[in-house]
Amino acid sequence: MPREIITLQVGQCGNQIGMEFWKQLCLEHGISKDGILEDFATQGGDRKDVFFYQADDQHYIPRALLIDLEPRVINGIQNSEYRNLYNHENIFVSDHGGGAGNNWASGYDQGKGVEEAIMDMIDREADGSDSLEGFVLCHSIAGGTGSGMGSYLLETLNDRYSKKLVQTYSVFPNQMETSDVVVQPYNSLLTLKRLTLNADCVVVLDNTALNRIAVERLHLTNPTFAQTNSLVSTVMSASTTTLRYPGYMNNDLVGLLASLIPTPRCHFLMTGYTPLTVERQANVIRKTTVLDVMRRLLQTKNIMVSSYARTKEASQAKYISILNIIQGEVDPTQVHESLQRIRERKLVNFIEWGPASIQVALSRKSPYVQTAHRVSGLMLASHTSIRHLFSKCLSQYSLLRKKQAFLDNYRKFPMFAENDLSEFDESRDILESLVDEYKACESPDYIKWGMEDPDHILTGEGSAAGTVDPKLAV
Amino acid sequence: MEEEDQQKVADLVKELVIRLVSPESHPPIPNSSDLQSSLRYAIRLLSSRLTPSVAPDAAAIAESTKRRLATEGKSSQALTFADLYTKFASKTGPGSVNNKWAVLYLLKIISEDRKNVNSQLDSSVLLPNLDFNDAELGNESRVLGVRGNKDKGWSNGVLLVSKDPENLREIAFREFVNLVKEENEVSEEALVRDVLYACQGIDGNYVKFDTNADGYVLSELIKVPRATRIMVRKLCELGWLFRKVKGYISESMDGFPSEDVGTIGQAFCAALQDELSDYYKLLAVLEAQAMNPIPLVSETASSGNYLSMRRLSVWFAEPMVKMRLMAVLVDKCRVLRGGAMAGAIHMHAQHGDPLVHEFMGRLLRRVCSPLFEMVRSWVLEGELEDVFAEFFIVGQPVKAESLWREGYMLHAGMLPSFISQSLAQRILRTGKSINFLRVCCEDRGWADAATEAAAAAGTTTRRWGLGYGETDALELLVDGAAKRVDKHLLNVIYNQYKFKEHCLAIKRYLLLGQGDFVQYLMDIVGPELSEPANTISSFQLAGLLETAIRSSNAQYDDRDILDRLKVKMMPHETGDRGWDVFSLEYDARVPLDTVFTESVMTKYLRIFNFLWKLRRVEHALIGAWKTMKPNCITSRSFMKLQNAVKLQLLSTLRRCQVLWDEMNHFVSNFQYYIMFEVLEVSWSNFLNEMEVAKDLDDLLAAHEKYLHSIVEKSLLGERSQTLYNSLFALFDLILKFRSHADRLSEGINELQARTMESSVPSRDKSKTKKRVNDKSSEPGSWISDGRKALTQRAGEFLRNMGQDLDAVAKEYSSLLEDFISKLPMQQHVDLKFLLFRLDFTEFYSQLRPSK
Repeated sequence: MPREIITLQVGQCGNQIGMEFWKQLCLEHGISKDGILEDFATQGGDRKDVFFYQADDQHYIPRALLIDLEPRVINGIQNSEYRNLYNHENIFVSDHGGGAGNNWASGYDQGKGVEEAIMDMIDREADGSDSLEGFVLCHSIAGGTGSGMGSYLLETLNDRYSKKLVQTYSVFPNQMETSDVVVQPYNSLLTLKRLTLNADCVVVLDNTALNRIAVERLHLTNPTFAQTNSLVSTVMSASTTTLRYPGYMNNDLVGLLASLIPTPRCHFLMTGYTPLTVERQANVIRKTTVLDVMRRLLQTKNIMVSSYARTKEASQAKYISILNIIQGEVDPTQVHESLQRIRERKLVNFIEWGPASIQVALSRKSPYVQTAHRVSGLMLASHTSIRHLFSKCLSQYSLLRKKQAFLDNYRKFPMFAENDLSEFDESRDILESLVDEYKACESPDYIKWGMEDPDHILTGEGSAAGTVDPKLAV
Repeated sequence: MEEEDQQKVADLVKELVIRLVSPESHPPIPNSSDLQSSLRYAIRLLSSRLTPSVAPDAAAIAESTKRRLATEGKSSQALTFADLYTKFASKTGPGSVNNKWAVLYLLKIISEDRKNVNSQLDSSVLLPNLDFNDAELGNESRVLGVRGNKDKGWSNGVLLVSKDPENLREIAFREFVNLVKEENEVSEEALVRDVLYACQGIDGNYVKFDTNADGYVLSELIKVPRATRIMVRKLCELGWLFRKVKGYISESMDGFPSEDVGTIGQAFCAALQDELSDYYKLLAVLEAQAMNPIPLVSETASSGNYLSMRRLSVWFAEPMVKMRLMAVLVDKCRVLRGGAMAGAIHMHAQHGDPLVHEFMGRLLRRVCSPLFEMVRSWVLEGELEDVFAEFFIVGQPVKAESLWREGYMLHAGMLPSFISQSLAQRILRTGKSINFLRVCCEDRGWADAATEAAAAAGTTTRRWGLGYGETDALELLVDGAAKRVDKHLLNVIYNQYKFKEHCLAIKRYLLLGQGDFVQYLMDIVGPELSEPANTISSFQLAGLLETAIRSSNAQYDDRDILDRLKVKMMPHETGDRGWDVFSLEYDARVPLDTVFTESVMTKYLRIFNFLWKLRRVEHALIGAWKTMKPNCITSRSFMKLQNAVKLQLLSTLRRCQVLWDEMNHFVSNFQYYIMFEVLEVSWSNFLNEMEVAKDLDDLLAAHEKYLHSIVEKSLLGERSQTLYNSLFALFDLILKFRSHADRLSEGINELQARTMESSVPSRDKSKTKKRVNDKSSEPGSWISDGRKALTQRAGEFLRNMGQDLDAVAKEYSSLLEDFISKLPMQQHVDLKFLLFRLDFTEFYSQLRPSK
């Protein structure tokens, strides 16, 4: 009765990072490219059935659905060495193969169209598991398929599997370079609404920060997608280690997430990983101790989300929760010492309206993957500074919206038909209220937030200053 | 006068020369040329000024002679010599020899001359009449004897000069003797004989054993001076002692083997017997001497081997000491047996007097040999060859599981003091290890280890090879055997019986280390355990346990380990739920049940129950989070609700969430504390100690420490009883909170469904009604008879929930405050770590002053 997790990889980006993720899992569990357990993979202790199931011929098959509206990436997967790994019934490519044209509305609309086919696949997977714990969605929020169709899937899953968890690994676009997708802000905003309302947990993978880390930390002058994707797969696999290597605690997704997300809407998690290496890169091997790892994880430069906060704002930003997953041979006594050191040095700012602490989970390292360093660590954290990322999205949207640019593409689809752009406004309002909630979390009075002005609330109208719209606050 | 003396000397010299030179058979022919020249030579010698190079000290010469005799082993001769010399030296006054030193020196020279007869010119050529072939007695005594025999008419002896028949002293002596005879009814000889008899435990004519006086006494009827009576009494102490020793020996030997004498007792008797036979020899000599008549006082100076009371007391001095020691030992040992006896004797051996020390040592070597043999066979073969219960290790028949702890004990009373406590412990453990291997582990390999140890220890391992005083050798043997046997035992425990694996299994299953297993188990037995305890079938639970094993990673564990894992239902009372009585147990089996005894397993059980409860609380909290499914609730728009109700909903929800967060913080940090500070740290310490453990006792101690540290740090110890109670109050409150939270989210879901349905009122009405009816406890339900009523009911529900939550929150914060304030008062340092974790952001410490 494993707590199965079904992975949905949607769109070009989703499938790419998904593939990297499965590659990494296969390596860590000693599963060959064909899904057969390698001869050397005899050491027990790992739990493969959370993410894999075994076919009649003992092949390990990922509980994964590969969904795209254009065939390019999926064809690539089907022609790769991993073609025999996936269940071919779980691959969905739209018949026309024309993609979503980087249009959220198109992706969303096509999602509606193929809902039945996809839900059939999901149902089949769900029926094949003993106690399904939830879904993981891999996608990007800027394109068409991952964002639009992903949004539609989120809503559907929420409806149909309301008792199941939905976690997403959402790739945020690179803000530093001009994107070929000009409607990126629209797509992001519309997706963020669904991420806020329909997901239980969103792991934010910020391409801007990933690029920055690749350049600054790994010294790659021009990082490729493959390289940044390997960072992503590292994070994804590390964040699931406690599920795959059962220990005393954090053995299921809900247990892992519950402590990380005390405030239900603030479920956007930042990640940090150290020490980072990229394939074929001769990296300098540093001494790694628990303290080193935990300290480095708290450094902004290792965080895989860009901080757009101004200095003053940054100083007020607070951690709502932190979970450090430490992998490797660790003396448990070091954990306590490290925590003490971190508290003494006041390296971390926590919320003031409730008790909080750095949670540390020790996890085993795969015996089949050789690493040069003894200890590695992943941080999953809920941090209020993430609101600046959303603010950035909001401001970009506002710029574009003010110009009424590119809206025609959206009006073609039923949701925005007859120039009904209320979906945009609603999304903006929801995102704004999210930003406000994060901001409120920085104050010690979070508990009373949204209620201190009964008159204002009774009027039922939000003020122009952008404070809470109670209608949306609930 | 001088001239007369001169003439006398000249005559005497001449006489001497004639006596010595002329052959006995022929009468001396005066004035023969030989004689004349010899005489001239003698006179020249005498008149010469030659003096010996030694100082003229009579006492010194006597002393050196005596010493020489003593060193040559002729102690009785030495005694006699000393006696004689004393008499000689004490003679003063007229008729005695003035120049005593000269006489002694002369005799010494002659004696030495005789000894060197081969290397020197045979003096008999010159002095044929001096008889050198007297082998019976020493030269001196013979010569002195000649002197003593003057009364027998050797009128022409050289010492006749001293004879003085008119001596006044002689007359006085004679008178004294008569006086003595008048006073004494019994002659001294008779008394001496009687004393000698008494000293062999036989009643004599006059000296008889008197039970009233508890000793040999001279009959009152016999008239003797008081001094003699006392003397007899004193001498007869030896007889009394002898009687005692002899009595003990015969009593012990006769009793054997029906009575509890034991091998050590026998050895002791044998040793005593040997001592007594020496004593018998002495008595035999003395008895022979007693046959000689005691000379009258005046004659004493001339008498040889005879025994008087006084002489007897001298002779008895040494045997008396020995006999006294023996009697003391006999007294001490009468009630003692085995090792205790050896110990008691050893205590007496600690004596400064070398005589006593040596005597006791001799005795102990005999006495201890059976004891040491027992040690040897125990240490090397594990055999308890102790028919008479004399060994300081006692065995008792016990079940295999308690063989190690209770099977063999040190018997402190039987532990001789020359074996130290620690050595005794090592001895005990070594044999115990062998027996443990033999009985519990069914192992034969120990024999090799023992043989190896025997070979290493060398010769001392032969039977009867060890003796008293060889404590070092004993220690060497014991240590060698202990080292090898213990090593072998640990190997067997580790490798054959997989001790470490079982410890790990216990950690994983009983201490909930195998998270996925625990989770499934909780998932599937949870509903079952909410039932009253008496309705739960443990058979069914066993089935569920098996399911949990099969569906978690536990399935890959060794089947042998999994088979030992069992469900245990504790005795339950009415009203108990399944949660209260459910636990897991681990069947350690022989020989590991020596480590995992019943009491140890009880401790594990307590820890399990505690951790299980902690898990249950965590499970409940996570369940609450899941049912809240936070986004579900907040994401639905409640457009159709009134703002006031919306606000209420918002506030109630947030209160619930914040409270949840606080509780979750507490529980998860408590879990982290348990994992890092308690389980893992104790485990890694335990592993380290396991590495260095040298014997099973070390291992047991390490395990004990491991378990103890978990118990203490998990607040299960005695000292943290109150803390434990507050903790459980907190846990119960959290469980209570869960039901509130569930009710809240259920209510909100209803509300949600209702607001959605209010536009289409007829749909699903029956279903809703049914659901509402299920919750009969709900104060009113919102039947969709209009928006207003709905709003009203929602408001009411939320208000109630809010109040309930407030009550829980209030109780929670006061309980937590109580708990946290008690934490620093605990003595256990690790509880500070708990506080540190709980109050990582100093949230509570900042809160408290304001209160």
